[in-house]
Amino acid sequence: MNRVAVTGLGIVAPGGNAPAEFFDNLVAGRSAVRVLPEDCIARLRTRIGAAAAFEPGTHFPAARVRMLDRVSQLALVAARQAIASGGVELCDEERAKVGVFFGTGMGGAATTDGGYATFYGEQSDRIQPYSVLMAMTNAAASWIGIEHALGGPNLTFSVACSSSAVALGEAWLRIKSGAAPMLLAGGAEAPLTPGTLKAWEALKTLASEDRDDPSASCKPFSQDRSGLVLGEGAAVVVLEEWEHAARRGAPLYGELVGYGLATDSAHITRPTVEGQATAMRRALESAGAAPQRIGYINAHGTGTQANDAVETAAIRQVFGAAADRIPVSSTKSMHGHLLGAAGAVELIATLLALRSGVIPPTMHLRTPDPACDLDYVPNVAREVRDLELAMTSSFAFGGTNAVLVCRKA
Amino acid sequence: MKTTFDVLKDILVRDYELAPERLTPDTPLTEIEIDSLAVIEVVFSLEDEFKVTAGDLKEPFDTLGDIASYIDRLVAERDAAGPAATGAASGE
Repeated sequence: MNRVAVTGLGIVAPGGNAPAEFFDNLVAGRSAVRVLPEDCIARLRTRIGAAAAFEPGTHFPAARVRMLDRVSQLALVAARQAIASGGVELCDEERAKVGVFFGTGMGGAATTDGGYATFYGEQSDRIQPYSVLMAMTNAAASWIGIEHALGGPNLTFSVACSSSAVALGEAWLRIKSGAAPMLLAGGAEAPLTPGTLKAWEALKTLASEDRDDPSASCKPFSQDRSGLVLGEGAAVVVLEEWEHAARRGAPLYGELVGYGLATDSAHITRPTVEGQATAMRRALESAGAAPQRIGYINAHGTGTQANDAVETAAIRQVFGAAADRIPVSSTKSMHGHLLGAAGAVELIATLLALRSGVIPPTMHLRTPDPACDLDYVPNVAREVRDLELAMTSSFAFGGTNAVLVCRKA
Repeated sequence: MKTTFDVLKDILVRDYELAPERLTPDTPLTEIEIDSLAVIEVVFSLEDEFKVTAGDLKEPFDTLGDIASYIDRLVAERDAAGPAATGAASGE
């Protein structure tokens, strides 16, 4: 079985449009959650979200912008960064084998929302002619493949909040088995549109705005947590067979060593301790790692009542006594929940924590919930010694629990 | 007064950020990467400007001049139908 190196990183997310900037803001505890623009929130009770500081016009010609939903714009820019940071230069023969494994929950949500506004709201028949091509869930992955002329498998995984974690895990399996030498893997999501936000509001899972500081509204593991905050962005990594990377002298940002998948089949939203714990156990088994060797867990940590207590119990079940010594943090407290992009964004946070030996904090955690009794690295980043292995979890509506394990390279 | 082509040119400069000097009536659409779906969007804007209603655009356009001529034809048909038909023709 092949080892799988991470040889390129790209990110466009709330709090940073490059891996270093993104991670520095996490370490500094700077939240990117804000009150959204008025035209977005006019008919919403929830005013907050985590937007990426992203202007498509600086990255694409105007004609191309009109063909790309924001989700594809974010994805393309993250992929360009990953390829550039990986020093990837492919010959035609290699391009034919390299593919894209991508995750998104909603695809081109702004296009769908805008089309409905035109058709039902304005009673106009002038539907944007590119609508289908912009909204289709695989558009982002397809555009990445087109831009870089990649002929290998181009697959989109849509399993809600686990989409990009699954894309990364499935890409890892492909490379490990020898089926592909290199894959671009990651995810993107752009849900900050009025109709999409309204649907999430109707689900009663969004956080209430913090009265004193809107940026502190997402409070994972805290007694006063009230829900998740939606965010937008994309993250892409270059996954590469170890020897292939070594031969070309590729930069090493880490190694993906384990992937565990387990599905809750009892309820469409309700998480279970057993499902989450099984995914963690399977990830550890595939990594060949004993639980106590994990030095950091980047939690799913959405800030919802349901998730955080269940995730805490699942960690306790898997890690036993070691659970008390393992730092666990939810960076969603700062970048929000990027849904289908969350797994990839948080993998990058986890890889950079391994690389730097600094664990980003769980922000806005003043009064821990008694049911959440782990070491959540509250409010201040922490330097740690000998950090070698880390785990990052994504759990989804629909029941897909996906866990990745990575190693410092 | 602006010609139909001038209005078309303004739309392409505004929405597609194309350099005005590239745009002449003889410019092939392929040369400025305006595909058949982009033409539909451009015609939406021209419908508003000239208060006309386009058909289903099944006939392909080759040049910018073809689009301008098509709009001129719609304007002429609308005017020939008389003022009473203007409201219906503009879809109001």
